[in-house]
Amino acid sequence: MRNAAFPANALGSEFKEKLRANFLLSSLSILLGAALGAVFFYAGLQKHLAPFQFAEAVMAYRLFPQSLVGLVAAVLPWVELTAGFFLVLGYLLEAAGRIAMVLGLSAGGLLVGGIKRRSCLLIIAALALVFIIVMSVTMARGLEIDCGCGLFFQRQVGPVPILENILMLLLAAALYWWEYAGE
Amino acid sequence: MKKSLWPGDILWAGYLLFLAAFFGVMQHRPMVSLGWQGELPAYIAKLREARRQVQFQGVKTVNLLQARALWETGALFIDARKPEEFAELHIEGAYNLPPDLFKNKDVQLLVGLPKDRRIVVYCGQEACDSALQAAEKLQSQGFTQVAAYLGGFRAWDEAGYPVDTAQ
Repeated sequence: MRNAAFPANALGSEFKEKLRANFLLSSLSILLGAALGAVFFYAGLQKHLAPFQFAEAVMAYRLFPQSLVGLVAAVLPWVELTAGFFLVLGYLLEAAGRIAMVLGLSAGGLLVGGIKRRSCLLIIAALALVFIIVMSVTMARGLEIDCGCGLFFQRQVGPVPILENILMLLLAAALYWWEYAGE
Repeated sequence: MKKSLWPGDILWAGYLLFLAAFFGVMQHRPMVSLGWQGELPAYIAKLREARRQVQFQGVKTVNLLQARALWETGALFIDARKPEEFAELHIEGAYNLPPDLFKNKDVQLLVGLPKDRRIVVYCGQEACDSALQAAEKLQSQGFTQVAAYLGGFRAWDEAGYPVDTAQ
């Protein structure tokens, strides 16, 4: 009955159950989720290991007062690390649990759906949204700066990193919908 | 499977964020306090200088006043920024030599240029390395009087020194 308060979910739930039953699709969701978590974990690790370089990038955005740049540069990598780590872990355990269940070990069921994956997805979606807004504002202000977001080489703020974040936001939202069990 | 709802997800997300913030601050306490005291920019500049001294050991550098003096005595100014930035505005009389151009062996600008010509290379601002990279490459091509001006175009422009849009 309470589904009436969440009509979109009620509408989608039956359809979603059918999709979930598909082995390929649910494996794909695990794979994509683990990959998304890994990207954020790696991004966070890189910033954590070169904190002052990242602080310099934060400073270049000229969004925060000087006194808070250090704090932002310290906390943001750890948000990425934490969300990424638990997301990857959650999906790996999910995969392990499912394999165990297929092998007839009912204890595997304990692993399925464990770890706060959906909360991690929320954090990652929020991060991507913040990055999209910040980079759009920066582009609108006409600042040509290093984005601090290059995983393998330095990049400037521009349409490509924004597009990447939009894709990650969509992926996180889709996975959240996928994982959301509802009532 | 136990079902939980989105408010619970948000609560857990908040808890994870709190944990992350706590560990982040604990891990990087020196940086946070440097930032709090407003000393972060100076510290970052110091780190950058130390890195450059190792990375670009043999490259001579000049400051704004020295660069101005060299400009007045007719040194060749080379702009190591991207062509778009150069086209927008550059130091008067400078030639553009963007980083990509060095991949070609014969840079037209440098052909026939005497090796002891005084050259000053600059890029956008303090933080960019492309001036130092270009200066290093010029030295390796045999130019002996090369210097990198580290303040970059921004400092030159802010000082009100001559700038130009012409090619």
